[in-house]
Amino acid sequence: MRSYPRKGILLEQNKEPGLSKEIRILPALPVERSELPGPVSSTPDLLAPYEIVSIAKEANIVDEIDGRRLWKKLAQAARESVSGIVVDALDDEPYISSQLAPTLQFPEQLHQGLRLALRAIGASKSSIEIYRNLFDLDTRIPSSIMGVKVDRISGSYPAESYARRRMQRNSTLVVGACALLFLQRAVYEGLRQTSAFVTVTGDCVANPGNYEVPLGVSAGALLEAVGLITNPKRVVAGGSMTGFSLTDPSTVYLSQTTRGLLAFAEEFQDMGYACLGCGRCTEACPQGLSPYFIYKVMQSHRKHHIELADADLCIGCGSCSYVCPAKLDLAQVMAQAAAYTHRRQTSGGQP
Amino acid sequence: MKLRTQNPPHIRSRESNLTMMTDIVIATLPLYAMAVYYYGTRALLLGGFGVIVSSLADGACQLLAGKIPNIRDLSGAVTGLLIPLLLPASAGYSMILLAALFGIAVAKQPFGGMGQNIFNPAAAGTAFAMICWPKSAFAYPIPFERLPAMVDDTVRLVSSPAYSLSLGGTPNIDLLDMLLGNVPGPMGGTNILVLLTCLIFLIVRKTVGLAMPAAFLGGASLVALLTPRVDAPALTAVAYELMSGLLVIGAVFLINDPVTSPKRTLPKIFYGFGTGALSVAFRHIGRYEESFLFALLVMNATVWIIDVWGEHLAHAMRRKNREFKTNPPVSEPAEQDVGAAQK
Repeated sequence: MRSYPRKGILLEQNKEPGLSKEIRILPALPVERSELPGPVSSTPDLLAPYEIVSIAKEANIVDEIDGRRLWKKLAQAARESVSGIVVDALDDEPYISSQLAPTLQFPEQLHQGLRLALRAIGASKSSIEIYRNLFDLDTRIPSSIMGVKVDRISGSYPAESYARRRMQRNSTLVVGACALLFLQRAVYEGLRQTSAFVTVTGDCVANPGNYEVPLGVSAGALLEAVGLITNPKRVVAGGSMTGFSLTDPSTVYLSQTTRGLLAFAEEFQDMGYACLGCGRCTEACPQGLSPYFIYKVMQSHRKHHIELADADLCIGCGSCSYVCPAKLDLAQVMAQAAAYTHRRQTSGGQP
Repeated sequence: MKLRTQNPPHIRSRESNLTMMTDIVIATLPLYAMAVYYYGTRALLLGGFGVIVSSLADGACQLLAGKIPNIRDLSGAVTGLLIPLLLPASAGYSMILLAALFGIAVAKQPFGGMGQNIFNPAAAGTAFAMICWPKSAFAYPIPFERLPAMVDDTVRLVSSPAYSLSLGGTPNIDLLDMLLGNVPGPMGGTNILVLLTCLIFLIVRKTVGLAMPAAFLGGASLVALLTPRVDAPALTAVAYELMSGLLVIGAVFLINDPVTSPKRTLPKIFYGFGTGALSVAFRHIGRYEESFLFALLVMNATVWIIDVWGEHLAHAMRRKNREFKTNPPVSEPAEQDVGAAQK
């Protein structure tokens, strides 16, 4: 069992009731089958590595964790001769379970996809990473899925970005679980990726759960199809910690990397609190930065201190904003400070 | 459908300034209950008076500064609740009034109000009142003698154990009585056991950390151990020093004031240790029997410097840490064509 950030925050995960439900295809939004040209290989286990890569290219599979095309990742990994593949099913952000649910519900397909990817890059080692601090689950996380070891990542949010970074250090390829499922479908059934797994949840959603949704559907149409209890005040595409809030859901279209769609009934209210200086953000920051110090420096005229604070190391996880009792938008301040630091460094000390 | 956008994260913790301040208000309530038990309902009158004066002063100062008065965060009320606890139960209303006004209108709002003040308002106000009325600020009523609402000459006032210590004598008081608060002293400062319970409550609620109070009491005990003032066994002398005066109530409420304390752990320990050591050292050289508040105010003035030092230290640690040297933040590798991979 590994634990990533020494600091960070523990979050209520709120993954139920979405996770334990079956992944469904909405009748209102049917997924179109788009078949690859040429016959489906009857012996997928005997395909050559380049054949798997070109099938992945034909099938237009995009890895949901970083938005890169799967075939490019596989080709690069084969060139660099990496030692193994880690399947990313971490889902450490609250509400989102669009990687974990497919992993638990289609273990055979995932295993087949993993074997194909391993052969494509000529590696043998593999493991599946799942976040461990999931206390509200009805389902248990198994210790191995189809003989592949499951690494249960303990530690606080943000575990995912740390896991990914460590993998890249150890020259392992990190691939999202959904991308492997689509690779399996492409090779075994000859289908292109025309859909994505999306968690639709939030307190406005009548029927929260994980859905397989055709690509290019608008967020508004998806919410309509799933059903709303009340009109949402906030709609978020992506994770609850790092996603984007939408002004008009009907003009935003889902892509392969949209892992969640959240609809909340309540708006945040500005209580007019000022920074107390409690230092909780400094305690929470997984990078060991001090958002408090950066906030104070950015507000003041003593901006030469900004070099000390190393704001450019911020990974944008949003933990500081989450814990702030004054509800300040610290993540935004950190991003501004990072840009300011960058400007200062590139212009030789003077912004 | 037109919605308002908001920056991530889209979920926030339930804790807010209000809950933090409410925690502190809750932690002062047992002290007021004990004060009512020892001195009668006058304790509540003092507390209520302090809250009203400082909340009004807070709102008025915000109005003067051109802001919309916002006393919902209870910070003014907390100042008003703490000031009577630091003074004798026989303190006059004028003393509370002046302390609260000084704390809010001189030590807090001119610096920019909530979160911007350099000095703890309750400590600054009380210290000011102590300087203005040195006699009545250090003459305490006897526990279990009910005080009238208006204190007059008929009330018997005595000196506290801190005074005997300052004269070099051993207080003729049982240590158990000092733990329970059955000694003359500041209204909220004598109930050591209750204060420690409040500290545990605040630590469990994560409103305060363990580092600063522990370092503070550690620093105070160390200096008390090295420079004993009374002719008693070393540990007894340290216990007398810690339990007299305002050290324990300071460790619970004043040293932990989030606004006027450092943010990183090491600076917190340094600040706590320094304040503790300085307050006991001031007892040797100061004119007053209790000089914790002055030590606290001196240390408050250095907090920004300590914070900057802490950032220097963290910066140096990060530079030393090889993780950041050898692994700069992950960048996207250049994409290349598939032909190269297929060979």
